[in-house]
Amino acid sequence: MATTPRRAAILGGNRIPFARQNGAYAKASNQDLLTATLDGLAARFGLAGTHLDEVVAGAVLKHSRDFNLTRESVLGSALSPTTPAYDIQQACGTGLEAAILVTNKIALGQVDSGIAGGVDSSSDAPIALNEDFRQTLLAANRAKTTGQKAKALTRFRPQQLLPSIPQNTEPRTGLSMGEHMAITAATWGITREAQDELAAASHQNLAAAYDRGFMDDLLTPYLGLTRDANLRADSTVEKLAKLKPVFGRGEGATMTAGNSTPLTDGASAVLLSSEEWASEHGLPPLAYFVDGQTAAVDYVSGEEGLLMAPAYAVPRLLARQGLSLQDFDYYEIHEAFAATVLVTLKAWEDAEFCKSRLGLDAPLGSIDRSKLNVNGSSLAAGHPFAATGGRIVASLAKMLHEKGTGSRGLISICAAGGQGVVAILEGA
Amino acid sequence: MASDFYGDFVRTGLGKKVVSSVGLPSPVRLRRYSPTAPLIEGTVLVAGHGDAPLAAHIASMLKSLHLEVVDEAPVSGSLSAVIADLSTIEHPEDLESLRAIVAPTLKSLRSNARVVIIGRPPEAATSPAQRAALRALEGITRSIGKELRRGGTANLVLVAEGDDTNVDATVRYLLSGRSAYVSGQVIVVGEGSPVEPGDWARPLAGKVAVVTGAARGIGAAIAEVLARDGATVVAVDIPAAGDALAKVANAIGGTALQLDVTAPDAGQRIVDHANTRHGGLDIAVHNAGITRDKLLANTDETRWRSVLDVNLMSILRMNEAILGPGGLRDGGHLVLVASIAGIAGNRGQSNYAASKAGVVGLTQALGSDPELRRRGITVNAVAPGFIETEMTAKIPLGTREVGRRLNSLQQGGLPVDVAETIAWFSQDANAGVSGNVVRVCGQSLLGA
Amino acid sequence: MTVAVTTLTSAPSLARVFATSALTAYGKKGSVLPDRTLRLEGVRVDRDHLVAYQRLCAFGVGDVLPHTYPHILGFPLQASVMSARDFPLALPGMVHLANAITVHRRLTADDALDITVSARDLRPHLKGRVVDLVTEVDVAGERVWESRSTYLSRGGSNPDAAQEAAAPDLPPGDPVAVLRIPEDIGRRYAAVSGDVNPIHLHPLTAKAMGFPRAIAHGMWTGARTIAAVSNAAGDPSTSQIRFRKPVFLPSTVEITRAASGDSVVAGMRSRKNPETEHLVLTLA
Repeated sequence: MATTPRRAAILGGNRIPFARQNGAYAKASNQDLLTATLDGLAARFGLAGTHLDEVVAGAVLKHSRDFNLTRESVLGSALSPTTPAYDIQQACGTGLEAAILVTNKIALGQVDSGIAGGVDSSSDAPIALNEDFRQTLLAANRAKTTGQKAKALTRFRPQQLLPSIPQNTEPRTGLSMGEHMAITAATWGITREAQDELAAASHQNLAAAYDRGFMDDLLTPYLGLTRDANLRADSTVEKLAKLKPVFGRGEGATMTAGNSTPLTDGASAVLLSSEEWASEHGLPPLAYFVDGQTAAVDYVSGEEGLLMAPAYAVPRLLARQGLSLQDFDYYEIHEAFAATVLVTLKAWEDAEFCKSRLGLDAPLGSIDRSKLNVNGSSLAAGHPFAATGGRIVASLAKMLHEKGTGSRGLISICAAGGQGVVAILEGA
Repeated sequence: MASDFYGDFVRTGLGKKVVSSVGLPSPVRLRRYSPTAPLIEGTVLVAGHGDAPLAAHIASMLKSLHLEVVDEAPVSGSLSAVIADLSTIEHPEDLESLRAIVAPTLKSLRSNARVVIIGRPPEAATSPAQRAALRALEGITRSIGKELRRGGTANLVLVAEGDDTNVDATVRYLLSGRSAYVSGQVIVVGEGSPVEPGDWARPLAGKVAVVTGAARGIGAAIAEVLARDGATVVAVDIPAAGDALAKVANAIGGTALQLDVTAPDAGQRIVDHANTRHGGLDIAVHNAGITRDKLLANTDETRWRSVLDVNLMSILRMNEAILGPGGLRDGGHLVLVASIAGIAGNRGQSNYAASKAGVVGLTQALGSDPELRRRGITVNAVAPGFIETEMTAKIPLGTREVGRRLNSLQQGGLPVDVAETIAWFSQDANAGVSGNVVRVCGQSLLGA
Repeated sequence: MTVAVTTLTSAPSLARVFATSALTAYGKKGSVLPDRTLRLEGVRVDRDHLVAYQRLCAFGVGDVLPHTYPHILGFPLQASVMSARDFPLALPGMVHLANAITVHRRLTADDALDITVSARDLRPHLKGRVVDLVTEVDVAGERVWESRSTYLSRGGSNPDAAQEAAAPDLPPGDPVAVLRIPEDIGRRYAAVSGDVNPIHLHPLTAKAMGFPRAIAHGMWTGARTIAAVSNAAGDPSTSQIRFRKPVFLPSTVEITRAASGDSVVAGMRSRKNPETEHLVLTLA
């Protein structure tokens, strides 16, 4: 029995290009997207017919028929049908949480190999029955006699046929994520210019990554799409400045469609294993998964911003690993909105926030911005909720591998429900 | 491109009647290779001029395979192959032996028959008369190829003095269905140290092969045939090839490597992938290619450059890593894909023809490179015929139908035919064959 | 050459073909197939159409064309050949007896397909006459896909007719899958395939053609069975589908399966009356 934790290696990843809502993948289901992604991963690493110890993935927008989404995708893929799988869901943190789960099992010796991933389709989103109608049907279903059934159905009203389309709003506040973020951005005084600069850099960095072939072994084109549909290689601060704000009011309205992520369809997957498994299969590790941390904040009371949880998770992770915020070669901070990244960085620089909220004697300090999201992030690539974690882990692992052994990267992902998932990777 | 109406039509009962009464050529279905089928069915005649040392060697090799081998044409019954060893001829008078062996058999050959003539390279002749006689073999072979009907092929094998035992893999290839669409070709067998496979049904077992342009078409066929023969295949194609490349790799249990062959580090990435994932590289097939057709008068620099870059210059760049230290293992095999257009030329394809003719030159240079010969690395090329290549798709129907018939087998070949020849080049048993360009064209009249 | 090849510039409208065929159905006679080959060049796959087909037949959504997909691209040509005035059999009421498909190589949505259809081998059958419609698909001169669809035109009896090749038995035993086929599958498949034969659309239109209820398209039941037993339905392979009893809509059916080596035999039978066999498939 393994008693000492083992290192969990990241061997590589695969994703399909991310499509805009109702774009190239409009008619494909979550299962189709995830299956294609697993097949691309299997092809890249020669895993056709290979048994893996587990596949963990999930989707945020999920049909009830997809209760076993990941296992069904495995069965439709080239992987061995003996590969077990399960679904998880932690909003936009799903993909990274899946990687934490698999790597923990690798560390404990419970599994030797696995895939962590995520998928989301905003185009093929489930449409629920109107709640009244659903209650009517359930009542009819519970009825024992035909008469009772008929009686239950008399409660039906035509307006009950209006479907209930899922909203990108927080159930407890009724505010959309953008509206929440606009409040936080205004509180922290994040300027429109700073947001547009971050957005333009994201597009330019991702376009450059494609151009120099960085994406060649991270991506498998699907349904005719060869690059992320949201990517605008010619994006500039000047062009972004022309867009009208869509979130917030009056003076404080700084958030536009250009510095917020659009609804996106896509999937990603990362291959993880023990060092022994990697060497047996001739697959060199790109990086190691060092540690992960989650946090949540009370955004319902208005006490804290909805997307501020990563600001809390990171210092706990740093403390556990004995690292400072400046000990990293790369920072991957998920761009739910440009403002999310900027607020998080500002909070870490803020002595008062670090003292009163994080309980630290000194602020975490600032980071070298030239190490931030150097190959672009969600503003350019798009953000199919559960797929973002896998996109970042695979991309960062490759960057760290190129940087060299012992290089370090920090991942920070905010999630709905006031949650945050963060992790540290180390180059192999 | 057109389906083979004519071919299908003449295979029906009614069609056969019409065809034989008006004398149109009647194509047969070619016998293609299967690892589980015998090398060739029926009787093989092996004979020769003088003491015919190669005939004796080949006859005993074929007998060990339990084939029915005779040294004289049977009075009744048909032959499936004739192997004539003319390696000891010294004078044109000696060519009578060839006539005497082959001529009586031609009328009774079975369909998909094989005629294999064995000689010595004319350059090694010791007298003008001997050189004339040896050179005559090529003309005879080509004429027999054109005379044969019903899928029969004729090929010439020139074996260098002292390398007689290196001929085995070539004889196997020519008798088998692997060479279904190969006729009128001259194959030169020279020095080398052939290694027989443990299992002839999987001659590439344990080998690692890389194939560029593998997502579809001929490239996918090459990847599948190499995998069928036992190799672990790295399937390479441009990143935009989509999930077609993943499907190819997963179907054959190989790995997919997305890269643009024109990238400066393409060769190194291929070598690194093969070494880290599969522990080395034994076979490299440069198949990726493009066309950008225009009359030369209308060809701008971009069209000119892109075709030469992908089809020729990228190979030169990749070879630095593939043939360099840590690249292809000693005893490995490099295979290039030329084209009949590079031999015959083609209107509107000056850029493509330039690149493919360049591939022929490159093959000849590398095939005789002393350092590569010392390392036991063979370098050969296939030149697919008119029908095989994408370029034919744009030709009008009528011209196409004529083009399809302009070869001795009177039909188009298949991508698998190209792939089978590449797989043969990739065998360790074939170490004596290097610097050869074999056309897989059904003995097309173009550029012959 | 004596074969007349007609190259069309676009796929014939199936609605028009079916309308014409109804008008020309009566008075069909003769025992000679017209020497005619219909051809459509450079057919491009519409990705939305492909996805709709993949979902309807439960193939995975992707760039690779499912085993049976080219059949529906060639179907308008088949219907055109069979509705021609000089074609000896009447299209309405024709029964699809069998279908054999060979995928020579994997096809993707990027391939430009040249599709050729011709009728072959008109021959007597115990219950009438049968004919083969041969569909061939080429890409850049390479034969990549071919299919032989055998149709029966009822009428007359030919007790001396040569037996068609025997089909294997349905694999016995427990089902590997149960499919609940909805009432609207005929209309949905008609929308994707263009095969608007009234026997598939609605109970009333089916009654008019002598069936008690609408029946599922044979090629849908075949494709759905292939999807149920194979993950890699676009890889090079050969299938033989022999249709037995029609699937009345709606229905619940069972799939049975037996494998030997690389070859799979699958059956579709009624769940309620397992002795009612709908089709048997061999896939290798």
